[in-house]
Amino acid sequence: MKAAFRNAYCFTLSRYSINPNPTILHLVPAISTFPSLPSSVFKNPPFRSPVTATLCSTSMASGDSDAPQTSPSLEKQFEKFRVQLEDSGSLRERIRAVVLEIESATRLMQASLLLVHQSKPIPEVLEKAKTQINVLKDLFNKLAEVVRECPGQYYRYHGDWRTETQMVVSLLAFMHWLETGTLLMHTEAEEKLGLNDSDFGLDVEDYLVGSICFMSNEMPRYVVNQVTAGDYDCPRKVLKFLTDLHAAFRMLNLRNDFLRKKFDTMKYDLRRVEEVYYDVKIRGLATSGDSVEDQGTQGQP
Amino acid sequence: MLNSSAALFRRISVSWLMAPKFKPRRLPPAADPALPLQRSTKLARTMSTHSSIKDAFSTYADYLNALNEKRERVVKASRDVTMNSKKVIFQVHRISKNNREEVLEKADKDLAAVRDLHIFRLVKELQGTDFWKLRRAYSPGVQEYVEAATFFKFCQTGNLLNLDEINASLLPLSDPSLEPLQINLLDYLLGLADLTGELMRLAIGRISDGEVEFAERICRFVRDIYRELTLVVPLMDDSSDMETKMVTMLQSVVKIENACFSVRVRGSEYIPLLGTGDPSSFLLGVSEVEL
Repeated sequence: MKAAFRNAYCFTLSRYSINPNPTILHLVPAISTFPSLPSSVFKNPPFRSPVTATLCSTSMASGDSDAPQTSPSLEKQFEKFRVQLEDSGSLRERIRAVVLEIESATRLMQASLLLVHQSKPIPEVLEKAKTQINVLKDLFNKLAEVVRECPGQYYRYHGDWRTETQMVVSLLAFMHWLETGTLLMHTEAEEKLGLNDSDFGLDVEDYLVGSICFMSNEMPRYVVNQVTAGDYDCPRKVLKFLTDLHAAFRMLNLRNDFLRKKFDTMKYDLRRVEEVYYDVKIRGLATSGDSVEDQGTQGQP
Repeated sequence: MLNSSAALFRRISVSWLMAPKFKPRRLPPAADPALPLQRSTKLARTMSTHSSIKDAFSTYADYLNALNEKRERVVKASRDVTMNSKKVIFQVHRISKNNREEVLEKADKDLAAVRDLHIFRLVKELQGTDFWKLRRAYSPGVQEYVEAATFFKFCQTGNLLNLDEINASLLPLSDPSLEPLQINLLDYLLGLADLTGELMRLAIGRISDGEVEFAERICRFVRDIYRELTLVVPLMDDSSDMETKMVTMLQSVVKIENACFSVRVRGSEYIPLLGTGDPSSFLLGVSEVEL
C-alpha cells in the first residue's frame, strides 16, 4: 500500500513536471533531495531533526526498494511495550489462578459455617471451618510471592483479589464472633492470614467491607434459627454486638461507594435482630428476670 | 403489667441508645446444648474490648479521611492538568506555515507551566503504593497531558515523543528525596489514542490551508501508530477502554486518508496557494501572487 502511495505521489510530481514552467522541472530533483538542503533555504521548514530527515527521505525517495517507513525508534518503543504488557498479562494470569483456589477454599469454609443455622454445636462447626484457614494462609502467601515480583504494584492487580479477600475476612470475622463474641480487628485478620502490612497487607477498606458483608448479613438469619432452636438469649448478645458494630461504623466518614452501600445494609440487619429480640422479650422467653407474660396482645411474629 | 412493659421498653431503649452496661444474667435453661459454657466470661471480654473497637475504628476513620482527602487533592490537580493541557492542544492547532515558530514557542511555555504548576502537585501525593491505588483519580489528567505533549512534539519534529522522554522531562519536578512521578505505560497508550484524534483534526485543517504535504506526513504517522497499537492494545489491563479508542482511531486514520485521497484525485481542481514557502510545494520559488 505504501509503495502504491509513493508511486502515485511520484506520478503526480511528474505530472506537474510536464507543465511547461521551467522552474518546476528543475525543482523535482530538489524536492526528492529535500532532507539534505540546509534549512536556511526554506522559509518555514516544518521539520529539522536528523531522525525526521530519515523519515522524510525514506518516504519521499522515488522508486526505492520497500524500505520500512516506520522510524526504528517507534518500533523499538512499541516492542518494549509489548514485552512489558505480556509480562504483566502472564503475572495477572498467575494471580487469577491463585485467586480461584482461594475462592474454592472460601466456599468450603462458608459451607461448613452455614451449619450454625442448623444448630450444630459451635465448636464442631468452627473445627471444620478452621481447617480451611491454614489453606487460605498458604494461598495468600503464594499470592504475595507472585505480587512480590513487581514491587509497588499491589494496587495494580488488587481488583483481581478484592472480592475474594472481602469474603474471606467476613467469614473469619463471623467465626471469631462465634468463638469470642467480639469483632475481629484489622491487625488480627492480617495475622490470621499471614499477611503483613509492609509487604502484602490487608487493605483497610477490604477489611471494613468484609466485617460487614457476610457476617452482618448472616446475623438476622442466625438469630432467628437460634431462637427457633430454643436459645432465647442469643438475640440479646447479637443485638448488643451488632449495635456496637453499627455505632463503630457510624464513626467513619464514607463516600458513596461500595463500603457505604454495605454499611447501609447493616441497619436493616440490625433492625431485624431488634425485632427478633423484641419478640423474644415480649413473650418473656428471654431470661430477663421478668415474669412470664401471656398477653392477649401478641406482637407481630 | 404496666411495670414490666415499662421495664421492657427501658431495656430496649437502653440497648439501642447507649453502650449497654454489663448486667448479670441468669444462665439460660440447661437444655440448650448449642451454647458454650463460658458465657459470663465471654460477656466480660466483650466489655473490655468494647473500647478497643471504638479505638480501632477511630484509626480506621483517620485512615479513610486521609485517603479520601488525598484522593480529592489528586482529582483536583488532575482536572487542572486536563484543562491546561487542552489549552496547549488548542494552541498547537493554531499552527500554520506563517506562525509556526511563535505558536510552538507559546505551546512549549504552556506545556512547561502545566508540568511545573499542576503535575508538580501530583508528584507529592502519588508516593509509594498511591501511584496505583489512586490511578483512577489522576489518569484522565495524565492522559490529556500525554496527548498535549506528544501533539506538540509531533508538530515540532515530526516524531513521536517516547514514554522515556516524557518521563525524563518530569524528573526535575521532584526533589531527590521523593519518588519521581513516572507516567505508566497504560496512561501513555491511552493518551496516544487521543492524540490521533487531534492529529486528524490538524490534518484536515492543514489540507484546507493548502499544506497537503504536512497532512500526508500526519497520515503516515497516524497509520504507524495505529499499526503498532494493534499489537499492544489487547494485552493491556482492562483493554476495553482502549479497544473503543482503537475503533475511533481507525475512523480518524480513514478520514485523513480519504482527505489526502480527495486532494490527490481532484488535484487539478485543487490549487495550492501560489507563492507558498512550503518547501515541498512544486511552486517553491514562484513569486507571490495576491489571491
